[in-house]
Formats: sequence, C-alpha cells, structure tokens
Amino acid sequence: MPYEKLTMAQALNQALRDAMRADDTVLMFGEDVGALGGVFRITDGLTAEFGEERCFDTPLAEAGIVGMAVGLAMNGMRPVVEMQFDAFGYPAFEQVVSHVAKMRNRTRGKVTLPMVIRMPYAGGIGGVEHHCDSSESYYAHTPGLTVVAPATVSDAYTLLRRAIEFPDPVIFMEPKKLYWAKEEVDLSVEEPGIGTAVVRREGGDATLIAYGPSVPIAMEAAEAAAAEGRQLQVVDVRSIVPFDDETVCAAVRSTGRAVVVAEASGFASVSSEIVARVTERCFHSLAAPIRRVTGFDIPYPPPKLERHQLPGVDRILDAVDTLQWEDS
Amino acid sequence: MSGTQTFLLPDLGEGLTEAEIVRWLVAVGDVVAVDAPVAEVETAKSIVEVPSPYAGVVAELHGPEGSTIDVGKPLITIGTLTPAETYRQEEKAGSGNVLIGYGTPESTGPGRRRKPRPSVASAPVTALAGAGRGVPLVVSPLVRRMARDGGVDLRQVDGSGAGGVIVRRDVEAALSARAEEPVVVEETVESRTGLKELQRVPMSGFRKAVASTLSRSRREIPEATTWVDVDATELLALRESLRSATDAGPGLLALMARFVVAGLKKYPELNGFVDTERQELVQYDGVNLGLAAQTERGLVVPAVADAHLLTARGLDAEIRRLTTAARDGRLTAHELTCGSFTLNNYGSFGVDGSAAIINHPQVAILGVGRIIDRPWVVDGQLAIRKLTQLSLVFDHRVCDGGTAAAFLRFVADAFESPSSILADL
Amino acid sequence: MTTVEERLLPSADPVQLVDEHGVRHDNPQYGMPAPEALVDGYAQLVVGRRINDQASALVRQGRLAVYPSSHGQEACQVAATMVLGEQDWLFPTYRDTVSIVSRGVDPIETLTLLRGDWHSGYDPYERKVAPQATPLATQLVHAVGVAHAARLKGEDTVVMALCGDGATSEGDFHEALNFAAVFKAPVVFFIQNNEYAISVPLARQTVAPSLAHKGIGYGMPGERADGNDLAGLLSVLGAAVGRARAGEGPQLVEAHTYRVQAHTNADDATRYRNDAEVAPWLERDPLKRLDAYLSAEGLLDDVRRGEAAAAADKIAAELRDGLMQEVSPDPAELFAHLYATPTPQLKEQAAFLQDELSREEA
Repeated sequence: MPYEKLTMAQALNQALRDAMRADDTVLMFGEDVGALGGVFRITDGLTAEFGEERCFDTPLAEAGIVGMAVGLAMNGMRPVVEMQFDAFGYPAFEQVVSHVAKMRNRTRGKVTLPMVIRMPYAGGIGGVEHHCDSSESYYAHTPGLTVVAPATVSDAYTLLRRAIEFPDPVIFMEPKKLYWAKEEVDLSVEEPGIGTAVVRREGGDATLIAYGPSVPIAMEAAEAAAAEGRQLQVVDVRSIVPFDDETVCAAVRSTGRAVVVAEASGFASVSSEIVARVTERCFHSLAAPIRRVTGFDIPYPPPKLERHQLPGVDRILDAVDTLQWEDS
Repeated sequence: MSGTQTFLLPDLGEGLTEAEIVRWLVAVGDVVAVDAPVAEVETAKSIVEVPSPYAGVVAELHGPEGSTIDVGKPLITIGTLTPAETYRQEEKAGSGNVLIGYGTPESTGPGRRRKPRPSVASAPVTALAGAGRGVPLVVSPLVRRMARDGGVDLRQVDGSGAGGVIVRRDVEAALSARAEEPVVVEETVESRTGLKELQRVPMSGFRKAVASTLSRSRREIPEATTWVDVDATELLALRESLRSATDAGPGLLALMARFVVAGLKKYPELNGFVDTERQELVQYDGVNLGLAAQTERGLVVPAVADAHLLTARGLDAEIRRLTTAARDGRLTAHELTCGSFTLNNYGSFGVDGSAAIINHPQVAILGVGRIIDRPWVVDGQLAIRKLTQLSLVFDHRVCDGGTAAAFLRFVADAFESPSSILADL
Repeated sequence: MTTVEERLLPSADPVQLVDEHGVRHDNPQYGMPAPEALVDGYAQLVVGRRINDQASALVRQGRLAVYPSSHGQEACQVAATMVLGEQDWLFPTYRDTVSIVSRGVDPIETLTLLRGDWHSGYDPYERKVAPQATPLATQLVHAVGVAHAARLKGEDTVVMALCGDGATSEGDFHEALNFAAVFKAPVVFFIQNNEYAISVPLARQTVAPSLAHKGIGYGMPGERADGNDLAGLLSVLGAAVGRARAGEGPQLVEAHTYRVQAHTNADDATRYRNDAEVAPWLERDPLKRLDAYLSAEGLLDDVRRGEAAAAADKIAAELRDGLMQEVSPDPAELFAHLYATPTPQLKEQAAFLQDELSREEA
C-alpha cells in the first residue's frame, strides 16, 4: 500500500532514513539530534538504526558544526547538519558564506561540497524571541548556495532526498509550523526535483506566488476568494535558488495579475526578487503591478503579537483586491 | 498515571462550612485541565462552579449529587500526569507547547474575517508636484501598448483614473474618436501631374496595419471570383415570418450567416488556411465567422467565434454585440483576428457585386450585394422578385472552381428556398 | 611563590563548605560566610524555589509560553546576585529568572519574555540586569564590553556573566574570555554546569578535566564549586568578585549542579536520561542541606521558616495575579522601537496595520 498518512516531520525522518540506507557516506549531526531525536523529532530513531558514527550529537557550536561538515564533505562524506533553529544558524553564517558557498568556485571545481544544512524556519508557533526568523533571503542572496523550501509533506520527502543527492551544498528550509501537517502521500512517486516550481491550484483571475509556510495560507486565500467569485491560481515556488522562471512566468502570463506571499520581512527579500524578475519578463502581460504580502520590516514580534506579522487570508485578499480589476 | 491529587472543598466565601453538590460536571475517567469546572455546588446564596486546580484524569468523586460536603473535606480526586507524560500527550496531538513557545494557533474559519477596504482607485499614484509632463501615467503596460499599437499619443490623452491615470477606457475612446485629420498643405505642386496638393492625410497605425494586410493578401493569394444572382424573395419572407409582436427574431444577416456556416461544413476547403511552410492545406473543424463592419475608424472584421455552435438566434445576438462593440471601439484583439471565413454584406453601399480582397490568412470571402426588386422568371412567367448578387472570392490553391461553385450554389439555394435546405441542415 | 598552574587551575575538588547532609567542611582558601548572609540566603532560596515551581505551574495553565526552570539550581541563582553590589551588572540567560528577581527586578516584568508579550520586560539600567539572552554565549561578549567601559570611566563595577555548560562550546565563549583576559576586564564568568544542554550530556560537550580548567588557556584563574552549596558559592563567587574589583582581571567560576527537571516543560527528558541518574541529585538539594545546617547551628527555627514560607506564598500570589490578567500588548508597538525617528516606510506599514485592525470583524 503505497499511500500512507504522514506528518511532515515523519516524512523528513523517512527521507533521512532512506538516504542513510541508500548511501553509507551520508551522516546526520548537530545538537540534540542523537538520543533525543531532535527537538522536533526529525531525527528520531536514526542513531538507534545507524549507530553513533552516522547520526550523532556535537558540542553546542554552530560554526563548528558547519565547518566540520565542510571538512567531511571535502573528504568523501555527505554530511547533513541541523541548525536547531534558523536564527541559531547565525554563528555559522561566516562558514556558510565564506566557505560552503565558495569552495567550488575557489578551487575551480576541484573541491565540491555535497552537503545539506537543514533549518527549521519561519513562525506561527508562538515562539519566544529568535525562534521564528525567516533567514532564507540571506542565503538566497549568496551565490553558490542552493536554497530549497518545501511546503507539502511529499515535497519534504522528495526535496530532502534530492538535496542529499545533490552535488552542491543545499540550504534546506523546513517550515516548522508545518511539521505536524498531515497528508496522504505515496513516497514512491517521483515529484519534480530541485529547480522546479509547481502550480498547486488553477485559476484564471490572479496568481498567488508563495513558498514554504505561506503556501497553505495562499491555498486558503484561494478557497476564500472562490467563495467570493474570484478564481486564484497558486504557484508553489519550492526552489528559491535556482528559481523556476519559466513556470512562474507562464502562470503569471495566464492571469496577468499576481501577488507574492512570504513571511520574511519584505525589504530586500526573496519576494522582492520574485517581483523584479517576474515583472521584467511579464511586463506586457500585466494588468496591474505585482503586489507583495510579506512581514513588516520589524524584528519578528513576540508571541502575543505574531499574528500581525504573518501573511493571512485577509491580507492576501486585500492585496488581490488592489489588482486594478476595474480596468478589465 | 504517576500519582493522584485530592482536591478538598475550599471555603467558597461568606464563612461557609459546608456546601451541597448540585451537579457534577465531570465523570470518573474524564480528562480535565487546570481550571476546568468540575462541579456546581450550592452555597447559602447561590450556585457556584468549582474549577479544578489539577490536570489529569478524574479518579474519584467524593459524593453523589445532592449530598453535602464539609469545607476542607475531599471533593474530587484526580490522577495527575508527570510533566513528561503531559508533554508526550501534547506532542502526539499536534504541536501543543513547543520547546520554546505556545505552539501553533487554532485554525480560524474559512473566508475573510476583515471587512474589505472601501473600493478606492487602486493606482498608488502620487502626483509629482512641479514635475514637468514626463511619461504619462498609464494604468498598465497592456493599456500603454494598446495606445502605441493604435497610434494614440498618450500625452494628448486625459486620464480619467485617480490622479489623472490613463485607463483603458480613455485609450479606447481616443482610438475610436481619432479622426484622421487632414492637413492642408500650402501650395505644394506635385511634379508628375502638375496639380496642387489639396490635402495630406497621415496614415494612422490602424490604417497602416490594414493596408499591409490588404497588400499581402493580393500579393500572396492567387484568388478567383465567381458570382451568381439569387432570388432572395423566400429568404425575406422567412425573415418576416420569424418576426412577431414580442420577438423580433433573427435578422437577415443572421439567417444568411447560418446558411453560410452550414455551407462551410459541407465544403470545409473554404474554411482553413494555407500552411506554406509545411506545404499543407489546413481545414478547420469549426467556423469563426468574420463579418465586416463599417466604423468611424474604418472597416473592421470581427469574428463570431464558434459560429458553428450557434443557432440563427445565437448568431443574431453575437452579430449585434460585435457590431456595437465595433462602433464603440471595444473589440478585443482576439475578436478582430480569429476569423476563419468572412461574410461581407456591402449591400448597404448600394452595389451588387464585388471582387473583394480576401482577409489574409483566410482563404475565402463571400460578398452579398443590395437586395432590390428586379424582373425575374418564375414558373415561366415574368415576376418582380427580390434579387441579390452573391460574389465568392476564393484562394484558388485550396480548391478548384467546381468546389467553389458548389459552395456558392449551396448558399444560393438556401437563400432561394430555405425550407428545402432544411433537410440538409 | 605560586606557579602558573596553582594560580590559574581550579581546586582538585569543587569547593564545598556544607555537604549534602548539612555538615560543615572548612576550606583553607574559602571562609564560611557570615551567619546572617546564610540565613538571608536561605530565605531567598525558599522564594526562588517557589518562583520556579509557581512559574512551571503557570505554563501548564497557558499563562506562560514556556518556563526553563532552575529548580535544583537555586543556590547558584541566589549566590550570583548576593555577592554583587548596586554598581555591578548581571548578565543572565533565559534560565536565570530567579537570579533576576533576587536582584530586585519585578517578577512580572522578568517573565514578560516567557509570557510572550515582548522580548524583554524590564529596564536593564534600573537594576543593572541585561536582557535575558536566548542565543547561547552571545551575551558574554557584551558583558566584557560593559566591564571594560566601566574601567575606562574609572568605576568599580564588576560584571557577573552567567552561562551554562553548553554555552562553553560556542565560539563566543572563547572570544569573550580571551578578550576579557587581554583587556583585564572585571568580569566573573559564572558557568552553571547543570550537566545537560537540552539532551546533550557534558561528556559530549567537552572532555576538558573541568570547565574551570579552560581558564588557564586564557591566562584566567578558574575555580570550581559545589553548585548546590550556597555557602561555598557565596565564598567562591565573593572572592572572584573581590579580585575582579581589585583590578586583577576576569575570573572563571564553574558550579557543579544538575538540571533536575527537563530543559523546559516541553521536553521529554526520559528520551535521553533515566530517573536513576536524577535521584541522587534530589538528595543534594540546596534547600535541604542549608536547612539542615542552619538548624543544627541554631540559626533556623520554625518562626524563620514560617517567615520564609510566607514570603514565598506572597511572591507566588504575585505571580499568579500578575499573570492571570489578560494584558494584550499593543500592535502599534511593533513599529515603535526600530529607530530614534521612524522611517517613512515604517510609518506607512504602521498605518497599514491600523487600517487592517479597524476593519476587523468583532
């Protein structure tokens, strides 16, 4: 029976398990990933199955974790590391930007780093300071990195498998709010790989472009819009870098109107990039400027105020309302 | 279960010494949260709800409803969970408390929960004070291009949108109002003829586009013409018979169109295009019937899409719609270019026949001239009948004269005897 | 003439003045604190324990988002502030609620972070307590800066910088100690080694002979103390603060204690340790032993115990009352504290949110 109901956390766990079974150079390490199985249980049971040489805890030092992964990857291993929360990856930022991203380029392809850095990111979990950041823009802006952002349970599985098999370093953004999301999935089905966006919902009036935790919100907004008589198309970006211009632009051209939805604060963000490149390519198909629904340009709020920061159905529909419908 | 906690009846105030259990709100085995009400007890003055200070599973209720309990005596015993047990339960149920926060919020219902903004103009226009007339404000690139293609100078257009933004309506209005203004040239003598130039009329973008298509048609298509005189008396009678007090019925043009569509079904060679690249003659499955319409701008030929799926009444409605749209300058690009065959009713000009120019890349055009009384022979006798001339101009590459004539004959027979043609409709 | 090793390396065994049975052990280097200090300390331990337990209960009632408890570590919490003067600074982590309250910060303000109303609820300058740090070890470097500024100004401030065993693996720990030593900054780096960083035990964090041994690498004296012995801690920390204040540079103190409960209420410790490991530490409880010692010395009677319990009840009630109230933070604040002068962009965004809220259906 290929279909099973899995949470995203379980799908990620299965992906790690299957990857480690398929290739014994795959290692999984970080803080609390061993005996505890990870604070979100993503690595649950891996040490038990594969032993401490393959899935293990490290000292509490993110720069050390990433730096060590660089060395391991240089010498025949495929390390998968976890930054416990996206914002706690900042101590490792120099290692990522100066070495993980640059090694292939620096050595003219002689030294390449097949490694994955997994980060639970984004908010919506009522977390105290530092636990709900969305830092994907920093990584997307760094040439040499591949940045992947699954939104569905089956994509979590597929894209993590692909990321681990990828010849270059991948920053794997895991939408922690969706760890408990459950879907019926058939893990044997090949989903599109890294670099491909997917249209999740068809609609002729306007296109919502989203990634990660914003995709389910966009889908909800599309449902609400349908009840109001407007058909919204939803595109799941899936792969921030490399970005699938073709699919996204074809979608926008088919409707002529678009809204980009993302949690991260808007200024100089991934959503800024999406708007710029889609506008460049689809200018003549546009009946209205492309709108963005993003976080405000403020530090992520405390739990009691977080709902104001996150894109919600209402804010998305308000943005859709501004797409110059009276000019049809 | 890791232990039990017994809750003693607290002093509920006013120096109470006992209270009667009016109603239990939980039963043994129920899971209760901290502060969840577990019982209603009656004091001297009122009924009070008692909340549980413990979370866990109800183990024992210390008295049936109606019994009295002293203050300080056991009221309820609850089996409590350790924090780890509680956390594990929460974890299984979904996020619950996460390591560092409250957890994911409950999902709100579907749909909007906020009133939409009152509709203001959406264009976020801030007029630049004191700035010269730079690039005119246009609502979208689409409209800007519309203007460019139509040869409209946006600097001459007044925007009716908020902040003076030029919107689609404004450009459409400009396109249809745009007259070719003749320019009087002073005293220029043209050398070849020795005549003075009366005026020079600039060719608008529209005019240029039309000229280009016409030239191309003549250049590329080896066309031939065949014509026939048709007794349309019966057709006119049919048209009148469909008119009643309450229903105007389909117009004459709609009826003609219906017959033409039927004819094209029989002779699909005349409804297609020549694929010169692949050297193939393509026939369409379905007809987009173009109808020539005269507008202030000039002649436009919008097409009724999927005309083969419409009844005469349906065609009538579409024809009227397109005509109105053409006059208002509101035809879409698709409507203007999707035709597969053209029906050209120039009878209103008062002429009979015409060697019309085929609307490239179509392969044929059927012209209908004026309908007037003429002497005709009916059953061997002279009669005055309603005569009209049908002219078929066709691309000789797609068929020979026999086919063209057969199509023309079919339509002519339909006009002359609509009822007999019904058998093949 | 003391050697470098003697001067900088910690004692062979952690300093202990009162053992788990309440029995006194004298130490040539570290004298027993005055009885009044110990009695006062005892009362603070009782209050601290109640804060921990009341806050933990309030999480279960949904009044706090999370509470990382210092249950069992109260001796460290209280000693850290008892040795400080008004001119000194405390740099706490997210687990040091009791320390912050014992420094005099209002308890409800202290819990603002954990309640989720804002990222910090008190004015750091009022009691010279830095905001509670969530990322590990980052605050240690800040502590060095504050200490150095004081020295430049000629003030006799000492900074008490708290961190856990896990934090000693972070790069910022190394950089902070090195800078402090090179600049001779008056900082006491106080490591509460409770043997766990969430699920990772000390043995995986380091194989140094002790965390206090790390001091010598920076030219900094390191000392280790029994983290559940208030008397020993007062003495060791007091001495460290004294040396720093006298201009002898930074000090490293490691307290050996234990995280009796889980990392927070939302952690399942049974996944990585068993109850048998925890049990002995319950016997080493700081309140128990101090109670036993003070009773034996005739310094603690039921009256005094009653007073301490009353103070504990009072603060527990304060916490309950304060946290039971529904106080919703104002969304407008989100845009208020970015810059001295809000940018046009922020004003726009604030207006945008205002508009949204005005259209909210009740």
